[in-house]
Amino acid sequence: MAEKLDKHILKNGMVVLGEPMEQVRSVAFGFMLPAGAAQLPEGCCGAGNVIADWIFRGAGDKNSRQLSDALDGLGLHRAGAISSSHITIGAVLEAGNLAEAIDLYADIILRPSLKEDQFELARQLAIDEVLALDDDPRQKVTLKLREQFYPPPLGRSTAGEIDELRSLAAPDTKQIIKNKFNLSQTIFSVAGKYNFDAICRQVVELFSRTKTTPRCAPVLVRDRAGKYTHIHNDGAQVHIGLMTGTVRPTDEDYYNARVAVSVLSGGMSARLFTEVREKRGLCYAVGAGYHSLKEAAGIMCYAGTTPEKAQETLDVVMAEFNRLSEGISKEEIQRAKVGLKSALILQSESSSSRAGAIGGDYYVLGRVRSLDEIKNKIEQTTVGSVLTFLRSHKFRDFTVVTIGPKEIRA
Amino acid sequence: MEFKKERLANGLVIIGEVNNRARSAAVGFFVKTGSRDETKQINGVSHFLEHMLFKGTEKLSAFEVNEAFDRTGAQFNAFTSEENTVFYAAVLPEYLVEVTELWIGLMRPALRDDDFNIEKNVIKEEIAMYKDLPSFDVMDRCRRLHFDSHPCGNSVLGSEGSIGNLTAEQMRDYFARRYAPNNMVLACAGDFDWKRICSIAASGCSRWQKQVTERELQDHRGSKKKKRVEKPNLSREHICLMSPGVSAQDPRRFASSLLGVIVGDDVGSRFFWELVDKALAETATMQFGAMDGTGAFCSYIRCSSENATKVLDIIRGIFESLSKSGVTEDELRKAKNKILSALVIKNELPMGRLVDLGSNWIYLEQYRIIEDDINAVKAVTVDDVNLLIEQFNPGDFTQFSIGPAQTG
Repeated sequence: MAEKLDKHILKNGMVVLGEPMEQVRSVAFGFMLPAGAAQLPEGCCGAGNVIADWIFRGAGDKNSRQLSDALDGLGLHRAGAISSSHITIGAVLEAGNLAEAIDLYADIILRPSLKEDQFELARQLAIDEVLALDDDPRQKVTLKLREQFYPPPLGRSTAGEIDELRSLAAPDTKQIIKNKFNLSQTIFSVAGKYNFDAICRQVVELFSRTKTTPRCAPVLVRDRAGKYTHIHNDGAQVHIGLMTGTVRPTDEDYYNARVAVSVLSGGMSARLFTEVREKRGLCYAVGAGYHSLKEAAGIMCYAGTTPEKAQETLDVVMAEFNRLSEGISKEEIQRAKVGLKSALILQSESSSSRAGAIGGDYYVLGRVRSLDEIKNKIEQTTVGSVLTFLRSHKFRDFTVVTIGPKEIRA
Repeated sequence: MEFKKERLANGLVIIGEVNNRARSAAVGFFVKTGSRDETKQINGVSHFLEHMLFKGTEKLSAFEVNEAFDRTGAQFNAFTSEENTVFYAAVLPEYLVEVTELWIGLMRPALRDDDFNIEKNVIKEEIAMYKDLPSFDVMDRCRRLHFDSHPCGNSVLGSEGSIGNLTAEQMRDYFARRYAPNNMVLACAGDFDWKRICSIAASGCSRWQKQVTERELQDHRGSKKKKRVEKPNLSREHICLMSPGVSAQDPRRFASSLLGVIVGDDVGSRFFWELVDKALAETATMQFGAMDGTGAFCSYIRCSSENATKVLDIIRGIFESLSKSGVTEDELRKAKNKILSALVIKNELPMGRLVDLGSNWIYLEQYRIIEDDINAVKAVTVDDVNLLIEQFNPGDFTQFSIGPAQTG
């Protein structure tokens, strides 16, 4: 698979990346703005969510309604996400409308109207979203787990904290946008059907006029918060989240870690599904995955179960983590590798997946890996390499969060 | 793209759309059975049976099935709705034959008592999981209220009670009646060898026995009842509205989808501007869902309990204004752009293509290329949408709410 990578760096440091895809009629793009949850000043947790809404409430010479109509008129499907590191705003659309879409997004990023009355509405919606998490314990347990696992402020809730959102004011938020929408650290990625020269000309024209700002200082991390947290909720299930540290994507053992997680929870024949669900019928939903930031990484596991089975579920899950380094069969490694490779290629057919992947790679690694490189690295792992890795990186500390009617021993 | 079709003597239809430029292939069995085909006593059996197919055959244990799928790196799963049970897998082209053979084997499952008893626990956990998701729970309960005694109101999951009482024997009986070759379609999309798929289907499925399968197909205009349930552990008000619509066989389904987008798309719709943009509701969406012989518009709104009355007043106002003045050319144009681009994007993946291919056959016994749907969407006029509003009056809805205990 010899996919091509297009790359251009503007004088102000903004990076433009592209991956052309011959077989599609769509194009997906994303602007990764360095204003993620961990980048925010203290006391503003949730400001990212307010910002991601506020900047769409009018920009350039268009008011909120005109801007929205213009985006809808392009048949564009908005995609946005807030992570620890970035606010990403982007879209997927038919290729012919890309240039008009980039014009509109340049206005949204560089010239948002930021009207005070609109700020109150954006803030109210962000507060409502946090309140709604109480009615979605699975989602809430995930956010809480990241917060407890990653050293602060890396795991800060991307949804926000109610108290901090309530005291958030428009002028402070405006200042955050001014400081953090820093083009020198912005990555623009595009994948699908496009003309790279035309995109570069347009992006240079639109984004070069802004003054270069110094890079934001790296985030200072503090000690990790807790080991076990229980949040009471009289729901039907105990929602269990568990996370333990592992190597980052830059580590030479990264692929060994990915294969190990896949042995644990890659497919339906993997260990967690087999032991927790198939053999014991303890859960409907159980699974683990690799989760990483640039600064730290972990293996994150979720299981939801009725209160009387909660303790056994956690015990079986932890036992499976600890048993992993005792031995893995050749067949298990083989299935894990095929699963990872196949997922990679299946995702490569989607323009949205590719735009996200190349931007993410560039931020974390400083370069974009080709599919072949990833395939080869997965291929090179063996029973021996995965076990050596697991034995030298024993799972020691588990951060556990539960939400539900019953507390357990963790 | 090349369309292929074959029908075995026992009635099993095999369809395929070959696209040699794709990097993957997708395969699926679409079985025309779901909760609407169940009686009260066996409610939830279609979904439970979907789980049981993964438990293996006379030759394969559950673990061997999971291993066999994972050896191919397939992204595979199944889902059950009110009227279909679909088993699917997306794989690299070189594994498609192996995965198809596996599915063919699983369509004749062992349905062992031991597996049935263990899996019953998993089903009960799934029921508990959805109870903790009020956004799902409210729609399930609104559907029941809306369809009243019509079988489309049957819950897909069933209840603790119906699942608790269900026997393996009842499931085997249901299986024998519903998983007949003439009641299912085998579909493939993407890069694959059509002749090879046909030959393995012929050798693997020809012995399956044809059955007489029936389904009650009367239309239903909805109960229009209103109900609210309190759950003390909730923090928000979850509201579901349902009103009648056209069926999956009705040409007006395209105008209906457009009406859904105009009223309730997540951005830029009437609900969005009146409710979400003004921060009165955090979420307010409406979608059209076409079914076999009937259909429904379904809205979901999440807001604070204090805002619930105001939000519902505004919604009534939106529907009144639609009845009085209809939709505008500009709204219709934007809705078309959204639906058309979504169609193109979804169909770029063999998996996305498979779903349309299978559904069109299940409901219409028709092969439709993407352009057929694109043209049908483009042809819809403002008058078509306004006539639909007049005929179906979406403002006259069934309403179900779940929210926290009300004080005072």
